[in-house]
Amino acid sequence: MNKKRLQAKDFITIGIFTALLFVVEFACGMLGFFHPYIVASFVIMIPIVGSIPMMLFYTKIEKFGMLTIMSVLLAIIMFVMGMGYLGAPLIILAGVIADLIAKSGKYKSFKKTVISYGVFCLWICANYFPVIVTADSYRKDLLDGGYSAEYCDNLFRAINYKTIGVLLVLCFVFGCIGAFIGKAVVKKHFEKAGIV
Amino acid sequence: MTGSIIDIRNVTHKYKGSGQDTLDNVSLEIKEGETVLLCGASGSGKTSVIRLINGLIPHYYQGDLTGEVYVDGKDISQTELYELAGVVGTVFQNPRSQFFSIDTDGEIVFGPENIGLDPKEITARKDGIIEQMDLKDLMGRSLFELSGGEKQRIACASVAALLPKIMLLDEPSSNLDWESIGTLRDIISEWKKQGKTIIISEHRLWYVKDLVDRVIYMEDGHIGCEWSGDEFRSLDDNDTRSLKLRPVNIQGRYEETFDFSAKEKENHREEFTDGIVLKDFYFSYDKKPYLLFKKKYSEADGEDLSLCIPELVLPKGKVISVIGCNGTGKTTFLRCICGLEKDCTGTISIDGKEYRGRRRIGLSYLVMQDVNHQLFTDSVASEVLLSMKDKDDARCCEILDSLGLLKYKDTHPMALSGGQKQRVAIASAIAAGAEILLFDEPTSGLDYSHMEKVGELLHDLASSGKTVLVSTHDPELIECCCDYELYIKNGRVISFTGSLKKPESIRRNAI
Amino acid sequence: MTARLDPRTKLYMILVVSAVVMMSATTPFLWAVRILMTIVPIVLLITEKHYASAFRFLILYASALVINFTCLSEQSEGFLMAFLVGYCSIIVQFMPAMITAWYVVRTTKIDEFVSAMQKMHVPDGITISLAVVMRFFPTIKEEYLAIRDAMKMRGIVLGEGNIAKMVEFRMIPLLFSCVNIGDELSAAAITRGLGGKVKRTSVEILKLGIQDYLLIALFTSVLLIFVVFKYFL
Repeated sequence: MNKKRLQAKDFITIGIFTALLFVVEFACGMLGFFHPYIVASFVIMIPIVGSIPMMLFYTKIEKFGMLTIMSVLLAIIMFVMGMGYLGAPLIILAGVIADLIAKSGKYKSFKKTVISYGVFCLWICANYFPVIVTADSYRKDLLDGGYSAEYCDNLFRAINYKTIGVLLVLCFVFGCIGAFIGKAVVKKHFEKAGIV
Repeated sequence: MTGSIIDIRNVTHKYKGSGQDTLDNVSLEIKEGETVLLCGASGSGKTSVIRLINGLIPHYYQGDLTGEVYVDGKDISQTELYELAGVVGTVFQNPRSQFFSIDTDGEIVFGPENIGLDPKEITARKDGIIEQMDLKDLMGRSLFELSGGEKQRIACASVAALLPKIMLLDEPSSNLDWESIGTLRDIISEWKKQGKTIIISEHRLWYVKDLVDRVIYMEDGHIGCEWSGDEFRSLDDNDTRSLKLRPVNIQGRYEETFDFSAKEKENHREEFTDGIVLKDFYFSYDKKPYLLFKKKYSEADGEDLSLCIPELVLPKGKVISVIGCNGTGKTTFLRCICGLEKDCTGTISIDGKEYRGRRRIGLSYLVMQDVNHQLFTDSVASEVLLSMKDKDDARCCEILDSLGLLKYKDTHPMALSGGQKQRVAIASAIAAGAEILLFDEPTSGLDYSHMEKVGELLHDLASSGKTVLVSTHDPELIECCCDYELYIKNGRVISFTGSLKKPESIRRNAI
Repeated sequence: MTARLDPRTKLYMILVVSAVVMMSATTPFLWAVRILMTIVPIVLLITEKHYASAFRFLILYASALVINFTCLSEQSEGFLMAFLVGYCSIIVQFMPAMITAWYVVRTTKIDEFVSAMQKMHVPDGITISLAVVMRFFPTIKEEYLAIRDAMKMRGIVLGEGNIAKMVEFRMIPLLFSCVNIGDELSAAAITRGLGGKVKRTSVEILKLGIQDYLLIALFTSVLLIFVVFKYFL
């Protein structure tokens, strides 16, 4: 009985928590509908709210692959929802690295978990890729149409290739902060109730 | 030793993290084709025995296990769970969380797909099961739309599709109404005819009494005593009560309480002068489209209404059972009184004051069937304080004490047992100052003594002046504590009568 | 006419649409091709009897297109105009993928999807997880509604005025519920043979039909047109 490999029960757990994470993203995403550029606040909201289920998830399986598979699922779901496939490499890479970091702490070290979750949160930036591509192609259209470069820059100041770097860093930072918050909540409830 | 398809030898088991042994030197042999009933109070070890047979102990639930278990000649500790799938099938208690698919067809073929059968074979089995269990009208539907009874039928079909020799059922009737229990009994009866070995763990004994060959009574982790089928059937109420079991021969009383056609003919209504007046409660689940203003329902809407109660007076300080078939308006009734359906019109008058719309919410409190949805904080005390506008620690302790929860003040609600969680919800209700307390199936899945405790609790709540409405399928609970019976069908009050309650003296002596 | 498409065809459609929108449409011809590509899922929605959504998408896309083109041609420089045009161009950009995705999600049964993945040799573990994700969305919704009802009853919907509490009151009972349901679900699935060494089979028999080949050909040609224009002209 190979307990190191992911079993059917683990795959089910991964599925459940992926669904929960996606629900968090969707709920936060609804707020972003008011203004397409509010989308930038995702890097704050999702890591923090999502940290609660995720910190619980970290205690559940503790085997290599739990984050990798989750990131693969996220990539597939995003693709099927029409958000493109450009984000997939980022998501999956973030998942694998997060998994490796957590594994190095045997999934029990809290320090490693914080960093692991911070890296994992980079998946959120995949949400921006379609917008960046849009912005880029729109800018090209405008330029071809004879508008000045200044005009184009004004319009898309918030989202372009340069700012994505900032967004990635913010994701990581808030991911780490979120890990602390999520861990506190998990302790307050799940450890106290004896589930963890 | 040979000839028994299930052989449990000297098993002692303790769950990981638990202080006590769940099973203490249990030995049991079951022959092929036998139908065995496991009964006993909650925590007596019935479910653990079931888990020994289907292999969930030790492969899924960790713990310390000594002794041996052989099923169909295989040593369980050496056999993987998926190898047992074609031999042992298990139907669990909660229809809602057993199914893997979203639709009925997918659920039935789930098992055969897992073991890699050829698609043609799977389709053949599926058609066979549909034919045998008469499931045609349930095919092609989403599992989320089905009633509890229908879900449990699909669960049975899904397990049966693997053609196992042994069928295990762990309190399968817990969430079902009377009609659905009858259907369940027919399914078990059919399996018995097919020669399957059947083991049922149950609190409700009456519906299986004619099917069983042997009955095992479990107590504190070991086998207390054993009866043959005939001996069991001849047990009377005193015997079962002393063992803290629910009565065996209750069918007659069930029929009396739930003989709906007789009630319809009766059409009797109790009248009260000083009580809680419900007026003009109209509600419909089918929202009619409107242009600018929402259409206000009225009695004239007739057929379209899911709830139609022009006037109803409820007596204060009494326990009223709300009965009726599933799906005919009981839950709608409770939710509307509670104010959860905001489209529902209606006013509640108490002592001359009228409450309408959103103000109805503070008046009543619904203890839901799944109490887990109502627990929000990390300690019992904060849970109760949450209901108070002005936080008053002293009052909180008082309430907790009256319900026997004071020593759990700082415990996390989710660490408590089901019955204790229920009492935490009740404590919150009292703290909120609700006048009307509503209960949705509070005793489904409870053993006899816990059911009695709930009955006592309801009685005490009523004595303190609250009006208690209990939606239930449990005739023993009704006997135990209900003063009146309200029969609802299609969202309308059909009859409202005094209940056949046992006199107080007999009830109290029994404990 | 029923256009029962193989789920693999639908996935291919999403792939092409996702790729095409990344390549800018510079000439009217390319725009026409793009619009045609967007119309296809709308038509497919109609054939699957989803009239309301097809209608809404059509109106939304058409109006966004119109605003986009007419306003772009005028030398409007006001802030409001720029904002409106920006908004519309985003809609125009995202709609094709969104409509296709909506069509795929609405018209594909989970069993078909799982079967398609098995045929594409996706490992069983991922297939199981994905099936659970899809099966859990309605469950999460049910649980959340029940929790929200309980919150309404206790007057804590706004979390006593505290955003942290608002999130906590919703999230914690939801997590407890999901974990409990998950445990029971796993036990019920494993006792029915999930997780064995044998590869799972599927009752849904998928075969590519003439309508699949037609659509694959259509979308491949759209893709080729864009690629040619982008890289070779």
